[in-house]
Amino acid sequence: MDDIDAMFSDMLQEMDLLTQSLGEESETLPKPPSIPVTQEMNVSFGFADCNVLSLNDLEDNDLDALMADLVADISATEEKFATEKENSKEPTHFAPPPVQPQSNFYLPTSTDAPRPATSSTSISAPPPPPPTAKPSKEDLEEQIKADKIKLALEKLKEAKVKKLVVKVEITDGGSKTLMVDERQTVREVIDNLFEKTHCDCKVDWSVCETNPDLQTERGFEDHENLVEPLSTWQRDSENKVIFQEKNDKYEVFRNPQVFYLWKKDKKSLKDMKEKDKEQLLEENFCGPSVIVPDLEGVLYLKEDGKKSWKQRYFLLRASGLYYSPKGKTKASRDLVCLVQFDNVNVYYCKEYKIKYKAPTDHCFILKHPQIQKESQYIKYLCCDDEWSMTLWVTGIRVAKYGKQLYDNYKAAVRKAAGSATWTTTIQGSPSISSASTPSPTPKAKAANGHVSQPPMEIKDSGNQTAFPPPPASMENLPPPPPDPVSLPPPPPALPTTTKGNKFPPPPQFTQSSFPPPPMDDLPPPPPPPEDIELPPNFLPPPPPSFVSCGGSLPPPPPDPLSYLPPPPLQNFASVGGGPPPPPPPPAPASSAANHPTGSIRKVAPPPPKRTTAQLSTPSDGNLMSELMLAMQKKRSQQ
Amino acid sequence: MAAWDLTITVEELGPEAPPLKISVTSDLHIGGVILKVVEKTQLKKDWSDHALWWEQKQQWLLKPSWTLDKCGIHADARLCLTPQHKPLRLGLPNGTTILLRACFSSPVFRTVMGICKLLNIRHPEELSLLWPVEAKKKKKDKGVEEEVYDITCAPLPSATMLKLSSGMPAFFAESPESEAVYKTLSVSQPAPAPETIAKMYRSTTIVEKAQVNGRWLDSSRSLLKQGIKENDKVLLRFKYFTFHDITPQIDVVRLTQLYEQARWAILLEEIECTEEEMMVFAALQYHIGKVSLTEQFVASCPAMDDLDSALQCLEVKMDRESSADDMLQTMTAPELHDYLKIFRPKRLTLKGYKQFWFTFKDTTLSYYKSKEESCKEPIQQMNLKGCEVAPDVSVAGQKFCIRLLIPGPEGMNEVYLRCEQEQQYSQWMAACRLASKGKTLVDSSFSSEVQSIQSFLAMQKTTPSNKTAQTDDSINTHSLVSPRYQKKYKPKQLSPRILEAYQNVAQLSLTDAIQRFLQIWQALPDFGLSYIVVRFKGCRKDEVLGIANNRLIRIDLGVGDVVKTWRYNTMRQWNVNWDIKQVAIEFDGNINIAFSCVTADCKIVHEYIGGYIFMSTRSRDQSDTLNEELFHKLTGGHEAL
Repeated sequence: MDDIDAMFSDMLQEMDLLTQSLGEESETLPKPPSIPVTQEMNVSFGFADCNVLSLNDLEDNDLDALMADLVADISATEEKFATEKENSKEPTHFAPPPVQPQSNFYLPTSTDAPRPATSSTSISAPPPPPPTAKPSKEDLEEQIKADKIKLALEKLKEAKVKKLVVKVEITDGGSKTLMVDERQTVREVIDNLFEKTHCDCKVDWSVCETNPDLQTERGFEDHENLVEPLSTWQRDSENKVIFQEKNDKYEVFRNPQVFYLWKKDKKSLKDMKEKDKEQLLEENFCGPSVIVPDLEGVLYLKEDGKKSWKQRYFLLRASGLYYSPKGKTKASRDLVCLVQFDNVNVYYCKEYKIKYKAPTDHCFILKHPQIQKESQYIKYLCCDDEWSMTLWVTGIRVAKYGKQLYDNYKAAVRKAAGSATWTTTIQGSPSISSASTPSPTPKAKAANGHVSQPPMEIKDSGNQTAFPPPPASMENLPPPPPDPVSLPPPPPALPTTTKGNKFPPPPQFTQSSFPPPPMDDLPPPPPPPEDIELPPNFLPPPPPSFVSCGGSLPPPPPDPLSYLPPPPLQNFASVGGGPPPPPPPPAPASSAANHPTGSIRKVAPPPPKRTTAQLSTPSDGNLMSELMLAMQKKRSQQ
Repeated sequence: MAAWDLTITVEELGPEAPPLKISVTSDLHIGGVILKVVEKTQLKKDWSDHALWWEQKQQWLLKPSWTLDKCGIHADARLCLTPQHKPLRLGLPNGTTILLRACFSSPVFRTVMGICKLLNIRHPEELSLLWPVEAKKKKKDKGVEEEVYDITCAPLPSATMLKLSSGMPAFFAESPESEAVYKTLSVSQPAPAPETIAKMYRSTTIVEKAQVNGRWLDSSRSLLKQGIKENDKVLLRFKYFTFHDITPQIDVVRLTQLYEQARWAILLEEIECTEEEMMVFAALQYHIGKVSLTEQFVASCPAMDDLDSALQCLEVKMDRESSADDMLQTMTAPELHDYLKIFRPKRLTLKGYKQFWFTFKDTTLSYYKSKEESCKEPIQQMNLKGCEVAPDVSVAGQKFCIRLLIPGPEGMNEVYLRCEQEQQYSQWMAACRLASKGKTLVDSSFSSEVQSIQSFLAMQKTTPSNKTAQTDDSINTHSLVSPRYQKKYKPKQLSPRILEAYQNVAQLSLTDAIQRFLQIWQALPDFGLSYIVVRFKGCRKDEVLGIANNRLIRIDLGVGDVVKTWRYNTMRQWNVNWDIKQVAIEFDGNINIAFSCVTADCKIVHEYIGGYIFMSTRSRDQSDTLNEELFHKLTGGHEAL
């Protein structure tokens, strides 16, 4: 295990060095492009800071998954710099090396076009000589300038993206490890977990956090970001992330009457007609403002800093949780606000009867998400029974999140329905892939803006110079090494895949795939022969779930044809239709949407790290092969 | 066939003139009568708007082809030839009064349609007219006449759509005066003096609130028939609280008036809200008042994408062939740094403020021993993201403190920052505010945040004694809250609380702010309830019936508790026994209720229920065509038959 750890840190270091050296090489570049160094640094920070798990705790399969992530990261970085460098040069310089005309041309055109997809289609077919495309030199120069700017901005954004490696416990006792990007929503993480666990994609699945100190549990809402709350956990935190079905997550939308007509007798509510339920939802969630269930009743409130619990009459309003002080009426004017929901979340609690001498075990607390320990700033509440606790917690969630909750539900239902029929899933056509992505990790990568690019592909491109352009781009597809079992060795598969009818002959496809990285000054890292042999031997036991679920899911190995397209497509889908500029495409578009304000300006990039560290490029290739060898060695030792 | 002399008064001849006598036969139709009268007056004018009004029967004779016989008119009938459209003083939700010509002969429902068309308010079915509260006229006030905006010159609305010119109905654009009238309709009114609010009639109890609903006019009868005379004043109000398809671009007047009605309902405590909610309403009112001075009512356009703007900025830079360093500079966040004093209250220790060198960067506050040491490691760093920020300020005492509650794993850390003067305070305060929302100093809202903090500080300076200074910069915070809170808090206490709420709304456009106001209003638990005091069959005491858009509720008059709720979707039918004035309703599951109405005519209850049922039949995709017939069917009662 120790050498694995060491290897990881080595690898990360190498990544840094690599990026630095690249920055060094491209003299013509303005500074920003060298910034991604910080991005990779950030990744490593992600590890260092990662209190979610330490690498030592990792299971083998986790390591494999992580490997895939990292490998993708590295190759993505390579890609990035490859393209950057080309970008930095005058296109005319490119004319001579005809080996990768496609990639040379790739950047300038695709960035300028509002819909790069279309432009790149034409490119991928017949790689036209660059000069034809440029109307005039000035135009092109301007073009390049604009590209640089865009690239720079993307880098700046990407540089800020934080990633965490999260170990998610699953109800069956197992666990999954995945890398979560700062910009990913919980919904995306859940979708990712669906792919990893191949469970039924029911709407009730949720990612929850538990806090053993406070004995709390809370389901993250689908629209929340996962990284932000997790990164506030303390280093020694024993908090956990759990993936489980929570019945109360969307109960309010399945049976709105029990929340909105809670005063009526339970019997009449049980057999409410669907039509009436719909009407309730319409009334309460589709109007100009969301109507919060008119909950009121006696709850116990733990007094500040004391051990006693006092009964108070509570009322829920859209603006907060109120109680009526003793001797006063329930009229609005007399109500005292206990808490407003802007800065707090609501958590279920366990066994407070023992911990805090609560009257019952049906307690919930309201606290700022960052508070992790007992504190006077936590509001402790206790209900008579479980049912009223569900009522209150759900009511508070409705008050806090409003219509967003309903939108989440509708998206979850769509997802569930989509996975059931195995057709489309989330809005838009390209999303099909998101359901069917075979590799355990690409989702995260896609969101990060890294297309999975296994190391062998580099070699492939070398091998297949004979192939026409399409294969070159195809090579981006084979999922990373982690599950070579599932894929036939890429090279032989390629020709067929290209012609396969299932393969969408897509502009997006080529678009989102990277131009082959090999550069004249950056020789293809892994020595081909080694690579060819490696994957089969390498054979890391694929994540158990992956194997076991091969049956339930259309298993990746049997027909690579249908599976090949997904990753890039999906990648594209995550862009959200925005014009994805070249190599790290999804990043800017999606982050622009997610962080309309912060990112750019916040950036304040650290002084470009143009350190003297010069890395001989071949070491990159060695790195990967070393890594694999190490893994191999480790296995053989076991 | 009988022949006799018919007595007809013609208004145009003057009040002194004797009524005309014309000889008629019983088979003469109404149109013929009018012709004869007009001939006899020998006045040359446009008589097309005139019709006969039968005084004894309080009835219009609007069918020209009906014979006198068919109408039941005999020799003793005294008729009056009078215009159907007469001037009417209309009190608008925003408190202003306009004089306009309204139809006195058609059912009020249609009259309101005409008025709304004139004023450019869509969905007139949601509004209706009601009698004003009889003002207890104090003799002293007699001289004071309220300002009336006269738009009687406006052409009568025709069936065709109103022409719009520069966003308003064409005739409003004709003269500067009428344009000014339109402005009072479409721009929210400045905040009234707190004294005015305190003086206005307020319905404090639920019974008083119920009495208001007894004053609604009958939608199926004409104004004249209900005793409204020329130049009388009636109020135009939103009656059904279900606002269909609000589109800010075309609903300027509608939205403004709706906002005004909601605002007055809150200021006059017609609808109750909590203190926290009141502060948000106050902040929104302040904001709306401020932006209406500058901003035109336009659809909010989303702010330019940050990426785009940054790109543009970069491109400009690149064009100037500046170095990449400059480019980076633009991306670098500015900082605040200064000497401030800090105080961290801890239990059992009473340490005072200590001075340090502070820097504010991104969302992080750091402090050092001195400026010279700022290159070293800071003594402490605090990330303010997600923290709570509260002012602790006294302008008079020259105390400018910022109270921060910074969340940490152990709880919230309380920190006080003390600034030396206003300018410094407003900058650091703004920075803290933005940081608490995860924004940095670069955010475009920083400068406006600084400004709003300063304007609130200015508000504290103006002493409440100079009431006359009701200028735009110094709005008395008391005029933003209801009298209850005017009494409860001094302006000094009120403004920081309003400012706190204001932070969350300060960036809204006018339209968004108005819509936010309406949203919060509509989320109040008591929103949309119209009360009527009723006596349930078999009960000995009065109770209150609350009528909302989806349900009826029964409220105990003594305690004010909701006793029972019935939803319309379980309602089978409702009937009114007009003779004994009783409303009977049957719900699913053999639930029958019956009640008589105490504070209102049962026609009003009937119309409310039928009206809400009608409102629910409107569909989203439906255009503006209004099914008048259905409305009358549902609300008309025995007269519609």
